[in-house]
Amino acid sequence: MAKELPGYGIIKVPKDREVPFGAVTPAPVCVQNMFQTSNWRIVRPVKDDEKCTRCLICYLSCPDACWVYKEEEDVMEWINDFCKGCQICIQECPSGALTAEAELDFPDGVVRLEKPF
Amino acid sequence: MAKVREITVWARGVTMDKEGRDVINIFAEAAQMEGKHVQAFDNYEDLPDRVLVTVRKYVRISDEEIEHKYLYGNDHPEVVVVIEPTIVKGINVLRGMSKGGTLIINTNRSIDDMLKFIPNADLLATVATVDADAITGVRTIDFSGSEGGVDTSGIGKGIAAPMVGAMAKVTGMAKKANLAKIVSDVSGMERGYNEVKIRKLN
Repeated sequence: MAKELPGYGIIKVPKDREVPFGAVTPAPVCVQNMFQTSNWRIVRPVKDDEKCTRCLICYLSCPDACWVYKEEEDVMEWINDFCKGCQICIQECPSGALTAEAELDFPDGVVRLEKPF
Repeated sequence: MAKVREITVWARGVTMDKEGRDVINIFAEAAQMEGKHVQAFDNYEDLPDRVLVTVRKYVRISDEEIEHKYLYGNDHPEVVVVIEPTIVKGINVLRGMSKGGTLIINTNRSIDDMLKFIPNADLLATVATVDADAITGVRTIDFSGSEGGVDTSGIGKGIAAPMVGAMAKVTGMAKKANLAKIVSDVSGMERGYNEVKIRKLN
């Protein structure tokens, strides 16, 4: 894309460096795999459905919105791909339903990115 | 040009960033004492000021002067050191390694447990584990913006000491006597040297 800037001349922007007007890039709303951060995690929160009262404090306290209330099944769902293992939900849970368990005990949740995010 | 032996160290931001930086600095300095040409880099490409983010640190050791000064990444690491074992689940740590490499992990789990998470383990000739957290357990919380300025504990005080001891035994690229002149925690380094579990594959 060739563009004329007044007083500067014509600049050529390579195709892969083009950005939309105002340099507005896609916001990280909903699930966006470009922002996958699950490999930051050393421990993961494991919930006990018997103790969980569905008070939604984990949903409110999670900085990455990794706890979602599933209304049909009446359970909290944990979103594996974006949980950084910060343990805020474990600290905040009033009924003690969440415990921290070592990530290496679980065979799932393998991301294996080529480079760090 | 002589062969440049590349070592990549994987650590995590803030909580283990200082330890990773110590590992590369100690190991490069110890190799330099033997008359080798060395380079050690950290904090390139990755942003280590994010808690627990995976970060890389690099060492290069060569018998002659290393010419590629301005490339910071190790594209073909011969030795990969993993300071925190969960990294093997999140990152392809053996990327770019040629056949016959070495992997050293800081963990209390068995070598078989760790190999389950490494699908390209056929590249490896040697796997070693050392339980550095049990030997010292000291980790310095350090934002890299301070560049170690707030840390008065000295180089090689924490889990870096057993890690470099294990690296010296497994790779043989540095001598234990030289490491002992640099690290603060000499007994931790010697325990790492003695307690590392090594397995030859193939």
